[in-house]
Amino acid sequence: MNEARALKRERFTPLTYAMLAAALLLSMILCVCVGSVQIPFSDTVTAVWNALWGLPIPQNIAKNIILNVRLPRVLCVALSGAALSLCGAAMQGLLRNPLADGSTMGVSSGAALGAVIAMAAGFTLPGSGYGGIMVTAMAFAFGSLVMILSLAYALDRSLATSSIILIGVIFTMFISSVISLIITFASDHTRSLNFWTLGSFSGVNYDQAGILCAALAVCGGVILRFAPELNAFAVGEENARHIGVNVKKVKMSILVTVSVLIGVCVSISGTVSFVGLVMPHIARMLVGPNHSRLLPASLFAGAIFLLWADLTARTLLSPVELPIGVVTSLVGAVAFVIIFYRTRKAG
Amino acid sequence: MLAGNHVTVRYGDLRAVDDVSFRLEAGQWLMLAGPNGAGKSTLIEAIAGGVPCTGLIEWEGQDIRRLKPAQLARRIGVLSQRNTVGYAYTVEEIVGLGRYAYRAGFLSGGSGEGREQVERALAMTGLTELRRASMLTLSGGETQRVFLAQVFAQDPRVLILDEPANHLDLKYQQHLFSLIQTWLKEPGRAVLSVVHDLSLARRYGTHAMLMNHGKCISRGEIGDVMTPDHLNQVYEMDVYAWMQEMLAQWN
Amino acid sequence: MSKKIVSLFLAAMMMTGCLTALAEDAGIMVTDMHGREIILTEPAVRVVALQPSDCEILCAIGCEDALVGIGQYCDYPASITSLPVVQSGADTNIEEILALNPQVVFMNDMAQSEEQVRQLEENGVKVVVSSATDIEGVYYAIRMMGHLMGKDENAEAVVADMQSTFEEIRAASADEGRTVYFEVSPLQWGLWTAGSGTFMDELASICGLTNAFADVNDWAAVSEEQVISRDPDYIVTISMYYGEGPTPVEEILSREGWQDMKAIREGQVFNASDSNALSRPGPRLKDAAVELYHFLNGTEEEAVPAA
Repeated sequence: MNEARALKRERFTPLTYAMLAAALLLSMILCVCVGSVQIPFSDTVTAVWNALWGLPIPQNIAKNIILNVRLPRVLCVALSGAALSLCGAAMQGLLRNPLADGSTMGVSSGAALGAVIAMAAGFTLPGSGYGGIMVTAMAFAFGSLVMILSLAYALDRSLATSSIILIGVIFTMFISSVISLIITFASDHTRSLNFWTLGSFSGVNYDQAGILCAALAVCGGVILRFAPELNAFAVGEENARHIGVNVKKVKMSILVTVSVLIGVCVSISGTVSFVGLVMPHIARMLVGPNHSRLLPASLFAGAIFLLWADLTARTLLSPVELPIGVVTSLVGAVAFVIIFYRTRKAG
Repeated sequence: MLAGNHVTVRYGDLRAVDDVSFRLEAGQWLMLAGPNGAGKSTLIEAIAGGVPCTGLIEWEGQDIRRLKPAQLARRIGVLSQRNTVGYAYTVEEIVGLGRYAYRAGFLSGGSGEGREQVERALAMTGLTELRRASMLTLSGGETQRVFLAQVFAQDPRVLILDEPANHLDLKYQQHLFSLIQTWLKEPGRAVLSVVHDLSLARRYGTHAMLMNHGKCISRGEIGDVMTPDHLNQVYEMDVYAWMQEMLAQWN
Repeated sequence: MSKKIVSLFLAAMMMTGCLTALAEDAGIMVTDMHGREIILTEPAVRVVALQPSDCEILCAIGCEDALVGIGQYCDYPASITSLPVVQSGADTNIEEILALNPQVVFMNDMAQSEEQVRQLEENGVKVVVSSATDIEGVYYAIRMMGHLMGKDENAEAVVADMQSTFEEIRAASADEGRTVYFEVSPLQWGLWTAGSGTFMDELASICGLTNAFADVNDWAAVSEEQVISRDPDYIVTISMYYGEGPTPVEEILSREGWQDMKAIREGQVFNASDSNALSRPGPRLKDAAVELYHFLNGTEEEAVPAA
């Protein structure tokens, strides 16, 4: 009987990581090679190869499209996917809530509101045109997170699955209307409502990929370092305190880190929903709930998923581009229902 | 080793714990009894750092509020009334979390000594065979045993239990209490537990404290405290007669 | 093809409208652009126009004095902005409109519900739908409004002016298979272009150009790599410049990966001075066409072919 109940998966699976890494690499290559404009594979390889080693690149159409449009986009998409998925995994652990995510909890909308306000008001930091928007987005993401959590605590001390999501949804709706109001009055200064609610990676560049990379390196490092604490939180906050976790400090650190990452992602690509909700679940199915394995697996899974979603968004109706959020929400909403149903049945 | 002086916990206007003092020395098993709402669980939460309190709680003469969470966890382990796990962690992973307070740096996952403690805790609680099982497949009694193993792995000096066997069947109750008794045999250890079952308290306790309406009614050695007079006063009924009547059912 | 059918249909409607107007000597009767018949006993002197284009038409045919209220986005000519502003589009507020006591309300047929139209008509306000989607439709709207306002001659003059300008530009522009890409929203905010079925598309063909995104309907988000690979001869952006940072033209010229495009190499990037002129179904389409013509030919504004 005990045999039957023992988990089938292995405790430590370098093979899983190798497969995830290979899948990520293949997805990235595919996404660079395929697009709404068809470019011969050989041209693509030549362009990337020569650029990598600093060799002269033959002047053809491939060069500009591959190196200046697709490659930065693929990098940004992969990094954002990884970051959003990591944030989702961290929040699902921290709040012990399998439906927690930047988009379901309204954090992304909060960040979007911050970015819209910064754009409309022309708020910039000296030296960097984009910094002001990003910092405001982070601050608003954190503010929303704190606000939603306090509201949820007031409603239900146990932070039950459904109450926190309910508040998140209401908050998101409220924020969306505030955003559309601001856009109505300052439409010339800010991006369209579509961008903020559905997201887009159109026109991203290497600078933004660099910012994402830096943010993911720093914040991702912090979150990965908190894997044992996240395990403790995922078991229960009370239990975490009993085994000696500095509950307040850890919680605050993770919330701030997650807000920063989401703020960066949203200010670059708008709100891309459901990545952070769905991918940690897939990762959990692959490697189990232990965060020291779950967090790295979520990074990979999120990057792969968003790459495919973006590929769909830019090729399905070519030459027209779909907002990426349409694709992720389509997949995510179905997954959300399945996860919600399963948690209801289990708990 | 553990002492409370004039401990008071307020929830708004309510004094859930009202000026309570206690002492716990090595080798003792202090039973905390009293009716519902007497403030027993709140007192335990105050010791574990879960709720703010006034007064002083000392560990070997030192204010425990000055201890870092990990330092406190190495001294005091708490087994809650009820534990549920939402994700499919394995038994071993949950028990391993008990070693959290001993991590030197963030890279030292499991030291040799830590692994040994986990193994011993698993063996003590009879969970060795279930080590790979998912928590989601365990019964309530098994789950509670896993968390007992976790607190054993935590290797504290004082074990605090909040009605640990409350919703478990008789077999598990007996099993749990004898496990704790075995644990207590090691020198330098003590147990503080909240119990509802007065017979269990008498059977396993060395010392007792009776509480009602947040106040301490009586404390001392178990025989001196758990007298009919005290119990009747605390529970506001004839406890002794009731227990006699219950026992008579079997004769 | 379908556009031609619509135009024919509109022309037919107009003729019947005029004929019935002749028959009913006492009143004015037109068929609005939703196919509804509107009858007035005499030309309107108090009107509310919810769409910016209708305001522009009314002013162009000399009826500015009859305007008693405007929709919230109406901003041209500047002299009308002092008029009372009412909510328009999805937020149209019936009470606000009734308070201005107009005889006629000009509106688009998409935003307003049947219910709202009925409410207005019950209160004695005639609702006239004006919803041109091509230049022929604009002519129809101008004539329809002219008739309702008793300014038929002015309306004809405005239409004739537009027609002759377009004809002259068409005559002066040879179709050499050159392509143009209209940028409605810049890269930084996600590329949007104007495809077929837009005024920009029509203006391009008047100027002898082919829209690079003629296979796309209406306004749509398009992928950056498509723009690069279609390599248009001209780029026209309607972005506004706010006086800080690079101008829209400078920004396009400096885009990574765009540097090898024909339009960029040859500096054929043009910022339309007024995006509204290019997109509103009003008389200023003529000005937009003239501006586009000068850009394409590198000529000065003074040498207007129509002048």
